[in-house]
Amino acid sequence: MTKYETVIGLEVHVELATKSKIFCSCSAEFGAEQNESVCPACCGMPGMLPIVNKKVVELGMTAGMMLNCDINRVTTFDKKNYYYPDLPTSYQTTQLFAPICVNGTVEITTSKGTKNVRIKQIHMEEDAGKLVHDDWTDTSLVDFNRTSVPLCEIVSQPDLSSAEEVVAYLERLRSLLRFAKVSDCRMEQGSMRCDVNLSIRPEGSDKLGVRTEIKNMNSISAITRAIEYEVARHIDALETGSEELVQETRRWDDIKGKSYAMRNKETAGDYRYFPDPNIMPIVIDDEWYDSVKKTLPEFPEVKKARYVDKLGLTEYDADQLTRSRALCDCFESASATCGMPKEVANWLISDVMKMLNKKSMTFDMLSLDGNKLGQLIKLVEDGKVSRANAKKILSIMFDEDINPEEYAEKNGYIVSNDTDQIASIISAVVAGDPKAVADYKSGKEKAIMSLFGKCMRELKGNCDPQVLKELLIDIVNKA
Amino acid sequence: MEKEYLIKLEKVNELRLEDAERENVLAFFEKRAEDLASLEEVETSNITRMVHVMPITAGIREDVAIKKFERDDLQKGAPETTDGYWQVPRLVE
Ligand SMILES: [Zn+2]
Repeated sequence: MTKYETVIGLEVHVELATKSKIFCSCSAEFGAEQNESVCPACCGMPGMLPIVNKKVVELGMTAGMMLNCDINRVTTFDKKNYYYPDLPTSYQTTQLFAPICVNGTVEITTSKGTKNVRIKQIHMEEDAGKLVHDDWTDTSLVDFNRTSVPLCEIVSQPDLSSAEEVVAYLERLRSLLRFAKVSDCRMEQGSMRCDVNLSIRPEGSDKLGVRTEIKNMNSISAITRAIEYEVARHIDALETGSEELVQETRRWDDIKGKSYAMRNKETAGDYRYFPDPNIMPIVIDDEWYDSVKKTLPEFPEVKKARYVDKLGLTEYDADQLTRSRALCDCFESASATCGMPKEVANWLISDVMKMLNKKSMTFDMLSLDGNKLGQLIKLVEDGKVSRANAKKILSIMFDEDINPEEYAEKNGYIVSNDTDQIASIISAVVAGDPKAVADYKSGKEKAIMSLFGKCMRELKGNCDPQVLKELLIDIVNKA
Repeated sequence: MEKEYLIKLEKVNELRLEDAERENVLAFFEKRAEDLASLEEVETSNITRMVHVMPITAGIREDVAIKKFERDDLQKGAPETTDGYWQVPRLVE
């Protein structure tokens, strides 16, 4: 029986994390009412001219630097022409002849070890609008809010050979691009999506088989299923002649678990690409290049090693934190403030991550001020605020910009060192519960815990538990 | 350029040349190819690429979102709208 190998290349689109669109000043944010983030430029009115958003070029460069690409110092935009009502100008402004980045590599790790996947190019382009089909009136409704939202398309060489490698590649891209704040890469919201180009050939052959392209995949698990289905379909076609494989674009139906042919793939000529005469070439001089290079973050694994070697975290803790740039940023600034990285890691992993999960927020959505978290942890370590009360303050800090110490003072969360005052509260509690006192004295050790709990409540938790325990036993014994 | 390729170009451009015309076109392209080849002799490794005939490059803007237009104004000239959407004939994929 012939053994086959799979050859896969990916085109990954990510939405760039900008405030405004690529060629006009309309907001690029999600969630506006239909056609509220639109102007004459992005809805294709005649005579409007594009002006490139500086941040888009910088994020494009950043993506390239994270993926070891060469940056084209002179980069140009081209028009890709096709007619569709989600494209008001009848052309998409994209890059064909001098894309911003070329020739990169991404290292991936799978069960078979590590491997380099080559990046052919990264280009900047604009997104299209959205069509809603209205069955009632049998028309299509057009929303141009997403038109001209900036995208980067990352094109790999056909270096991937299994669904496992594709998943590892996508996860690696997502991690690097999130770390560099290029994109939030949220597949479920469509800010990261990919086209999978796939063919199979007998093992060892250097001739490529017939290639099919599965368009617009936006879930990692669906991508795995689609690849497995397509590989089986291709092998079946070659082995049994059940169908003739043709080069085509297919759509994956994840519910039915099948792929379907779409329109025939247009060749590059059909799009009549030509240089956009309205956008002058963009020249990236050394100064600009260096200023972007300076903003690059440490790679996640470099950070992880540093957290373990220099800051004394466990592998597990370092792994948890380096899952998200926002967690890392918060960790680093909190550690700098309080000087206790292990404590900060504990707070982030046990409390902050839990709070994020509870609110169904991703780790990257964390906006907690690390400096203030550091202040709070210091208050606990200095014995000024109890751990339980610090957790209450932390949950307020999640939603409000407060100063932890001021807040603790204002709301009665400062631990009391006034033993006279503590003793008087204990005495009152003890006097009010003669049964517990009698139980304790008759040998029921547990009775002291109920008294301890009552005292702690009376003290609003603002007491060193050890001090409270000693004073309590003393007072009970004397009672 | 080979004659076969020229015939292919004629086809995609919906043209039809007589054989004599083809000879002329092929001779023309051969001469241009020679001209281009002669450019290879020029030492260009130290010359920066010309970005534009005028010493200008693209004007770029800072990433600031500004709302300057109202939807109703933009849709004034639209043949049909519904609920803030432009309305067009239904498309079947
Ligand atoms: Zn606009």
